[in-house]
Formats: sequence, structure tokens, C-alpha cells
Amino acid sequence: MPEPAAPRPPPLRVDRLSITYGERPAVRELSLEVRPGEIYGLLGSNGAGKSSTIRSVVGLVRPAGGRVLVFGFDPVTDGLRAKERIGYVPETSLLYESLTPREFLEFVASVRRLPAALSSERGHALVTAFRLEEEYDQPIASLSNGTRQKVLIVAALLHQPPLLVLDEPLNHLDPRSVRLMKDVLARYVANGERGVLFSTHTMEVAEQLCSRVGILDHGVLRGEGSMTTLREGATRGDATLEEIFLGLTQEEEGVRAAVASLERT
Amino acid sequence: MGWRYAYRLSGTAFTELSLQAIYAFRQGNILPGGSPAELVPKARRRVIQSKAMVAGLLALLTLGASLALKDAAFLAPRLLSYPLAAPIFDAGVLTALLSLDVAFLWWTGLQILPSLLSSGVLPVLEPLPLDDTTLQRVAALVYFRLFDLPVLTILIVTPIAVGDALGFAAGLAILPGVFAAATFALALSLVTGRFFVRRVQGARGGGGSTVLRWTYLVIWVVPAFGMFGFVTLAPAFFSALAQLTNTAPSTGFNLLLLAFPFPLASLPSVAAGGTSALPLGPGGVVVLIAATVGYVLLAVGSAAWVGGAVRRVGLAPIGVATPAPALRFGLTVIGPIRSVLVKDLRIASRTPGYAFLILLPILDSLALGLLTYAPGSSTRGAESLALGAVTSSALLATFFGPAFFAIEVLAYSYGRTLPLSDRTLVLGKVALVLGIYLVSAGVVLGLVSLRISDPALFIGFVLAELPAVVAASLLELGLVLRRARRKGLPLVNLYAGTWTAILISIPGLIVASVPLVVFSSIQATSTSLALGLMAVAALVELAACTPVLFGRGTT
Repeated sequence: MPEPAAPRPPPLRVDRLSITYGERPAVRELSLEVRPGEIYGLLGSNGAGKSSTIRSVVGLVRPAGGRVLVFGFDPVTDGLRAKERIGYVPETSLLYESLTPREFLEFVASVRRLPAALSSERGHALVTAFRLEEEYDQPIASLSNGTRQKVLIVAALLHQPPLLVLDEPLNHLDPRSVRLMKDVLARYVANGERGVLFSTHTMEVAEQLCSRVGILDHGVLRGEGSMTTLREGATRGDATLEEIFLGLTQEEEGVRAAVASLERT
Repeated sequence: MGWRYAYRLSGTAFTELSLQAIYAFRQGNILPGGSPAELVPKARRRVIQSKAMVAGLLALLTLGASLALKDAAFLAPRLLSYPLAAPIFDAGVLTALLSLDVAFLWWTGLQILPSLLSSGVLPVLEPLPLDDTTLQRVAALVYFRLFDLPVLTILIVTPIAVGDALGFAAGLAILPGVFAAATFALALSLVTGRFFVRRVQGARGGGGSTVLRWTYLVIWVVPAFGMFGFVTLAPAFFSALAQLTNTAPSTGFNLLLLAFPFPLASLPSVAAGGTSALPLGPGGVVVLIAATVGYVLLAVGSAAWVGGAVRRVGLAPIGVATPAPALRFGLTVIGPIRSVLVKDLRIASRTPGYAFLILLPILDSLALGLLTYAPGSSTRGAESLALGAVTSSALLATFFGPAFFAIEVLAYSYGRTLPLSDRTLVLGKVALVLGIYLVSAGVVLGLVSLRISDPALFIGFVLAELPAVVAASLLELGLVLRRARRKGLPLVNLYAGTWTAILISIPGLIVASVPLVVFSSIQATSTSLALGLMAVAALVELAACTPVLFGRGTT
């Protein structure tokens, strides 16, 4: 009888990940998994460790402990194979500002060794979908933040990576592009093979889009699961994600106290 | 709110500028290891070190000039094959010194202006409740702080050095010259920076536009090169000076008296020996006075202009071409190494600092190639000049090699998330250095092919040196990459990372020089043997340096 095929590793596995900057811990023993066909939302306040986690996934930050595996490849020890499988949209628009979007996409397609015809076809479709035609040959330095964000999204989708890593991807986007992005992401994972790791602090977006969410607070995962699972653990069955988030991070009282204090002044 | 308040504010802004220049956080670099509290003091220290390096270099040049001035009567007949009176020789030396002062300060400005513009320190101040005068003063002071040590060095050391060599009056007489040199360099840096923002940075992509951008950049680089070229063209300058003084007073000499910085450089000779020290006719004295007054007024005007223009340049929006829908959407996909090279060339075409590094060796070759057509130049002289031009371009391309790695700072963190191996990255940069070397050599060959008797020797020389240029670049860029990865910080521009850039360039320059030394020491015995041994030396170096890159991991 033939041996059963080894199970395919998940798009992303984070195992007891710790990240420190100098003496300051940013992420503490974080474990999570992005499964095939899943959009995993990473929620947290400012400085909760979302971006640090994402940077370790894309190989920018070396973990102080634990490890990250992208389809079984460690971004630290097997960086090229891990990065080939990732499409990344950073939190801030960090691009080669002297290049035009066309030149930037040509560089990305060349580094990723994409076939010319395929990249042209996909590039054209994405540029048209995100309405970048007028800015296609303008230097990135002259573009608005929203347009830069669109260029980054197009670059991340150009090679149709099996894992999309998106750090606050809807920042700066206009309502049309936000809607487009949400629909693209929903369809992107529909084939049941790809995964998306998505960081945001917009509860509404996470609620609409994510199959599961993880709530980070001071570098620690306070809660994880689908909306249904998280509601089951909440005090009210109809709690919104915002209420669940504030409950898990124990910020509800803090917010009330802050508002009261502001009213007094 | 007076200057004192503006100075205090400029200190805060300059600290931010130093931090961004060193760590490039705005370009997306992540926090390096070590204590975050140490970042600001470390950035401050590194910028001061870099400024001290530039200042030290200027001081050394000044002291060298001072030694030449002290021993003019002894040196001039030994250095030059024609008679040149000591006061004229002194004026020539000081012309060279002031030209180099302008060149170094201007070059420093080219390196750091992009940091000033991209750091965003000036726009951050705008929404604060500060009046226009204070904002203008703060901007001007931040700009001056970029140059303070080097400028103060030339303003203080030059009069002392000249005074020591030629007397107190001569020391005082050089003051207008150094003031004008410093002011012009600061103004030129700003003018070229403004030009960059208005015409180059926002230019559209595409073939025609690329050609236009490079044309702009060549026009823009030529004056800066003109100053650098003074070193290359110094023998021709002194020869021309001798010819002009032999026929002086003449219209030619009067025209020379109008050309910056000669009139200001002549003042110490006049101060030390009176107007009879120079071959000035009655008209010449008037021309000298008029030129001096004119340049001093221009320098004062430039200083006033710089005071107001820094803020305008810092806040100026990028000049963008009229938006137009793209006509084609096809992407040109090439190999990863070539893509690094093409990306660097595209970035350089909109970044004058990098364009300057690429164009300098090429323009240097062009100047030396044209020099072979100078009247009286023999075929043998043309051959020597041609080989000298190749030598110079090999060394210049090698010296600037590490600076090309600084392009990666522009999107450092994003670039590191792409599946781009260190090898590919370094080989792309090596290809750029090699390209500069070959284009420079091609320019010389194109110019001198009719002037030299044996083009095969020239081509053999270029090819024999080629492995050494590759070896030197591999060594330098491999070392830079290791350092950048180990320290977790991108190698920044030559200004902010001067120590790194210079220290890493030294082994590279040695590697590039060894085959050249082998050739020149054996050439007299047998040219073909010299070429053969030169090639062997270069190949051995290539074999030795390749493991620096290929002996390590792929990521």
C-alpha cells in the first residue's frame, strides 16, 4: 500500500515567537497559524506587536526566540524560498521613490523571475482595476499616499503568492479601493489553498473579512478564533468585535476613565 | 524670536536629520539591535565624525598648498618644465586650492541634500506657531549645520596657512577668496538641489524622458566636474598660465583675471609683493579690482539668497509632468542581476548624487581623451594619457563602488522582503561598476584611436585591468553588505557614512592598483610581458576576492 502523502504545511505557522528591540520585548511567545483558504486578522492597539510579527514573517526581523514557517520554510534560514511564496504590503509606503510604478513593477517581476507575458497581463489587469493608468509612468515620489498604497498592493498580487501578508493594507485607500480590496481578498482565498495574514485596528473590516482573528496586547495573544468563537467567550452573545477586543485587552474601563477625565478638563 | 531661538530649534531639527541620514527610518529601515536610547547619540556622533573627515581633508589640502607656497621658488622650476615666476605660481596654487574647496563642499552638498529633502525635517516645522522669519532662519541654520565644520575649517585654516607662507597681509587677502568659495559651494548645492526637485525627480518614465533626464544630469554635473577636473587638468592650467603671463599684460590675461577663482587667488600675491608681482597693466589693476569686488558682492548676495532659499527648496513640491494615461501596459522582465543594474540606473537618473558618481569617471576620461588633442601633445604622450585615463576611471569606479550600495537605503526594508539574494544584489552593483569602467574606456578609445599608434596595447590594457576592477568591487561590496547585515543598518551616503565608505574603499583601491603597478614597473622592459603579468595579477586577485561573495550563504 502506498504511503499516504505528507500533509502540506500550512501557509503560515508561528511558533512561540518572541521579538525584542534592545531590552524591550515587542512580542512574547506568540503562536498562531494561517490555514489554507483563510484570512487571519491580527488585531491590536498601537504598539501591540502586530507589525513586529509581520516583519518577522517577511524576514525583516530576526526572532529572539521561537520560529516562523512559511509553507514550511523559515524566513531566517531559508529566506529566498519563504520570500518567493509571500506577497507583502508594508504598513508605510516604502518604495523606490525615484522609480515609476511601471519601473517598480518591472523590477519586482524581474526579481521574482515571472514570465513577461504573464506579468504584463496581470499587471495590466491590476493597474486597470486599481485605476493607476494615469500614474503608471509618474515617479512614485510624486504620488499620493493612497496611490502608493495601490502600487504596493499591485506589486504584492503580481505573482499571485500563496501567502499574502498585509500590514494595515487599507490605510490611505479611497472607499472604492477599500471595497475592491475586500472583494479581491475574499476571492483570493476562495480556492482553499492560499492564505492571508492581515493586520488592522479597524474592527469593522476585520469583522467583515477575516475567517479568524487573533487579538494581540503588549505582544501577547489574548484571544483567537472566529467571530462565533470569540462571541461565545464574551459576556454578551451579540457583542461586536470592538467590544470583544476592549474586553480582552481590558481597555473598556480605561476608555471610560479617559473620556471622563477629558470631560472634566 | 531671534537667531538664538532659531539656533536652538535648528538643533532639534538637525538631530532628526542626523538620525534619518544614519538610520533611514523614513525609508523604512527597522530598528537596529542595541539600546534604542543609544540611537540619537550614535547618529549625532557619526555625522560629526563625517563632517570632521571632510574638514580634515580640506585642512590637509590647505596645508599641502601652504607647503607649495612656502617653497614656490624651489618647487616651481622642478615641477614645471617652463619658467613661472613665484607670485604667479602662488596664484595658480591658490586657484587650485579654492577650486578644490568649492568642489569638495559642493560634492558634499550633492551627497546630503537628498537626505535633507527626504528627511522631512523642514515641513514638520511649518504647522508650528512660528513666524516666517524664524522658520526661514531655522531652515538656513539646519542647512549650514550640514557644512559647519568643513566651512569653518577653510575659513580659519586657509588664512592662517597662507599667512604663514606669504605673510600676514597675504593671509588677510585670501579671506575674500575663501568666503566666496564657501558661499558659492553652499549656493550651488542648493541651486542644483532645487533643479533636482523641479526638473529631475518628477520627470516621467519612458525612453525619451530617460535620455532627457541624463542630459539634464550631464549638464548639471559638468560644473562640479569642472572643479574636480582641475586636478586632472592642473598641468595644462599651469602651462596656459605660463603662456599668458609671458605675453601679459594682454586681453587673455585680463580674461583670466575675470575667471573665478583666479582674481581672488591672486590677491595674496599682490598683498605680499604689490601690483608688480603680477604682470598687470593699468587695465589689469582695474580688472582685478572689479573682479574682486564683483565676486565679493556676488558671494554676499549668494549668502543672502541661501538664507531664504533653503526653506523654499525644502518645502517645494516635486515638479510633476502633466498626468496622462499610460499608452502601453506591458512589463519588461529581465534577469534579476540585470534588473538590479537597470533599477540603479533608473534611480540614478533621478538622483543627482548617484548620477554624479556614475558620470564622474566617464567625464574624467572624456577630459583626458580631449587633452590628447592639446597643441604639442605627441603620439607617445597621447598613449600615456590614454592609459592614464583608463587607470583613473578604474580607480574612480572602484572608489565609488560602495556608494552604489547606498541606493538600497531608498527602500531598504521592502527590498529585503523580495526574494533577492545577496549575490544577485552585489553582482548587479558590480555590473554597474564594470559598466562605468568599460564606458569610460570606450570614451577614451573613441577619442584617441586616431592619435595612438597601437590601439591593441590600449585594448589589452583595458582587458587586463578588467578582472581587477571586478575583484575590487566584489571585495568592497561584499564587505559593505556584511557590515550592513551585521549592524542591521543600511550603508548610507558617503557623507553620513564616510568612515565606512573610506575604510572599505581602501582594500578595493589596493586591489585595483596592484595590476597597474605591475604594468608600470615592467613596461620599460617589455610591454607585452607587462600586459601579461598585469592580467595574471588581476586574475589572481579575482580568484582571491570571489570567495568574499560566493563563499557565503545565498540570502
